[in-house]
Amino acid sequence: MNQAVISCLHANLPAVEAVLKDIELQGITNITCLGDLVGYGPQPNEVIELIRDKKIPTCQGCWDEDVVDGLDACDCSYPSQLAEKRGHFAHQWTTDKLTKENKDYLANLPYSIRKDKCLFVHGSPNSQHEYLLPDMDAFAALERVENARAEILFCGHTHQPYIRELADGSIAVKIKNAVPKDTQEKEIQLPMRRIVNAGSVGEPRHGGTKATYVVHNDVTNKVKIREVEYDIELTCKAIIDAGLPPIFAWRLKNGFEFAEQAEDASHVCER
Amino acid sequence: MIERWALVSGLKGDLDTYELIQKDLKKTPGNITLFVLGDMIGPEKNCNRLLHRLINPKSNDLQPWCIYGWWEEQILLESGYRGDQRAEALRINKGEEVVKSLNNAVDKSFLDWIAALQFGFVELDCGLIHGSSKDVGENLTLDTPPLTLLDRLTRLQVNRLFTARSKQQFHLELTEGIVNSEVEDLNGNRKKEQKVPQKAVIGIGAGKNYTLYDVGTDNTQFVQAGYKTEKRIKGFGRL
Repeated sequence: MNQAVISCLHANLPAVEAVLKDIELQGITNITCLGDLVGYGPQPNEVIELIRDKKIPTCQGCWDEDVVDGLDACDCSYPSQLAEKRGHFAHQWTTDKLTKENKDYLANLPYSIRKDKCLFVHGSPNSQHEYLLPDMDAFAALERVENARAEILFCGHTHQPYIRELADGSIAVKIKNAVPKDTQEKEIQLPMRRIVNAGSVGEPRHGGTKATYVVHNDVTNKVKIREVEYDIELTCKAIIDAGLPPIFAWRLKNGFEFAEQAEDASHVCER
Repeated sequence: MIERWALVSGLKGDLDTYELIQKDLKKTPGNITLFVLGDMIGPEKNCNRLLHRLINPKSNDLQPWCIYGWWEEQILLESGYRGDQRAEALRINKGEEVVKSLNNAVDKSFLDWIAALQFGFVELDCGLIHGSSKDVGENLTLDTPPLTLLDRLTRLQVNRLFTARSKQQFHLELTEGIVNSEVEDLNGNRKKEQKVPQKAVIGIGAGKNYTLYDVGTDNTQFVQAGYKTEKRIKGFGRL
């Protein structure tokens, strides 16, 4: 059976509607959302209400958490002070715009969702703010999945869709100064695990302009990255009309990698 | 001159043990740096004399380089140094009496000094911490999965991690390893084989059990303060 996984909707209603339509056309009814329903985009209430109406199980993203609890992401989440200033403006704008009912909905979202061998999170099992980038240290990536007791870890947050398989692993260890024996050696086989990043529906940062999500077949275990076109002009106009920073519209329209992303991808915000 | 580190933890207010270790170290050959990896305080006994001695070493003491440990974290939490959080984990697991005992064991005048302590030191390619690079309260032991140990090393970007929280003494080397990674994204597929460089995690013990580390040879020696001193000072091999 196919399941669709969507992430990082970022208050971009035309993109969300287009992706949900694409999922419906494939006959998929099992959908999981990895959070960041709001932030950057101009239609936070509309996107939340659409997800709520469709009863799509959703994890809490970092923006969803920040809007409820106040900003707790440290400066390292932004590549520049200007980007940080824009991010804070969007945070305040979104906080002011959201209804109390929708804030309560975001506040009560779970950090993770577990379905059998699959774990769904926004950033990583450690934190909604941690980026699992496609080329991060392979052992560290494997540790995230294994210590979460999952076989497949679905995540978002990077806005870059990918499927990563970690296989044929082993680590040899030697105990020095062991009592009673002087030295003990053993080799531990590591399990095969996968990380699937769903990309972003509402704010793609993969170099193109299309919204992305993934489809996983739980029988064949195959995963496909889907790209969906949507009415970008409509979202861009809404961003400008709302008074949000015009660069948010610029990067949607041009599809350039302009990520508000930490340079140190392994950093976990401690604030 | 041989350079050695003495790694101590879990004194929990025990000035007698600290003095015994200082006495040991005076007889140990080499240029020795003393690191105290947390848990200088605890709820069992009054810690003020030890704290005073750590802050104001006697003229013939080795200068101690201290970081905070799990018990220091608890008193900082309880005293409002960590925002609105309090030492709830301690309260739930050990009870209100232990929280009170901890507060009574440490004079408030020492709290600013404790609050200024660092989470850990990075010396050469070694991380010196109380628990792990993930959490001051995390126990790393011989039974911790190697994948987890490797992750904790990677987070600090060090080749050796000295840890105290488990109270155990061990020297575990990650000698070799491999994992194959295949990434598929919108640009296509790419494969990469990643290998483990040699790394180690060293449990330094607690209280009277401490560790000597020979920086030049990468050898560890697990020591009990005041025990078989004569034999130990003859060399750096096992007791």
